[in-house]
Amino acid sequence: MTKTDDLIETLAAQARPVRRLPSPWVRLCLWLLAALAVVGALALWHGARPGLGTLLAQPRFALGVAASALTAVLAALAAFLASLPDRARGWALLPLPAAALWVTTIGYSCLAQWVSPDGSSPPGETLRCASTLLASSIPLSLLTLWMLRHTARLWRRGPVLLGGLAVAAVTATALSLLHPLDASAEILFWNLGVAALVLAVDGVVGPRLVQRLEQA
Amino acid sequence: MTDTQAAQDERRTRDAALSALMRQAQAGDRVAYRQVLIGVTPYLRRAAGRFFARPADIDDAVQDILMTLHTVRHTYDPDRPFRPWLAGIARYRLVDRLRGVSRVAAREVAITLEHETFASPASNTDTDAWDAHTVRQAVAALPAGQRTAIELVKLQEMSLKEAASASGMSVTALKVATHRGIQSLRRLLGGHPLL
Repeated sequence: MTKTDDLIETLAAQARPVRRLPSPWVRLCLWLLAALAVVGALALWHGARPGLGTLLAQPRFALGVAASALTAVLAALAAFLASLPDRARGWALLPLPAAALWVTTIGYSCLAQWVSPDGSSPPGETLRCASTLLASSIPLSLLTLWMLRHTARLWRRGPVLLGGLAVAAVTATALSLLHPLDASAEILFWNLGVAALVLAVDGVVGPRLVQRLEQA
Repeated sequence: MTDTQAAQDERRTRDAALSALMRQAQAGDRVAYRQVLIGVTPYLRRAAGRFFARPADIDDAVQDILMTLHTVRHTYDPDRPFRPWLAGIARYRLVDRLRGVSRVAAREVAITLEHETFASPASNTDTDAWDAHTVRQAVAALPAGQRTAIELVKLQEMSLKEAASASGMSVTALKVATHRGIQSLRRLLGGHPLL
């Protein structure tokens, strides 16, 4: 009997019933519920930014928030689709148009609202923004990596980065809704900077964490 | 019906059978699972054969894919075709293995006879050590190429690549010169047991 035959007998003997992975659409819904819960909890704790209703009536602001929210949804869906071995890796391109729109609205906001010398945010706002960033991105990142743990021996990096993009987009949406980010530098940092930071951390730590979660 | 159509129909039938077996395997049916694993092995061997030449490497790759299939069997949706799911797993594992082989090969240096140390315990103690002056005299008496090879590879313990860079000799020439140098030293030092 060859080593492969031995392995087949061993694997067959170890076969136990498994709980099938829910479809990517179901997993997306679960992930969105978790994201809404996180943002909702932050909104309850922090309160909405002043004048949010007025701001949402402004097309530029509404488009920016919609673009970041849409990026989050599409990036999460792409992560769950691309993580399956029988789905095309081309699904990874799904969030790109929404992400491009998001970046465009950020750029336009920066041009329209150049930073003033005396700044526009109340004191202590940076610390509050940082706490929202951490409170939103850490639990969502951990949840996303846990939901992608089956990719440990498949395509790890792509789905993990897509998951990171989804988390970054949710965080940026929360920051826009909850904090007065009006100066260009703030918009740039708390949107693109957050996205880059979450992607960098998830890109480095994520694949290893996914492997550990898969072995656990 | 043409041959191609017949082959396609046969493939579809086989795929449907494997899909049904895999559904049962997910429910814990060990007999069905064993049939799946046996049924996919020839396909996996052919796939691995496109990436690796040595039978041992092909076997290792096939076993890697089977273990991965076992680990991620919960990701298969029985309402979808089985073959693309299997092919996806095989593709990711084979590419991963190929990357790993390239990484290791880039860092490895092949061990040759000249790199082996002596098994005799006496060779690892000082009690039977040569007189250093005698050894230096013997090395100095070697032809230039053999002397350079012995000094760099054996006395200064450089790697073959480092010694080749320092001496301007090729790695092959260094190996030959080292081997001949040791034989010459054996003659010069009077057939010492450690040579």
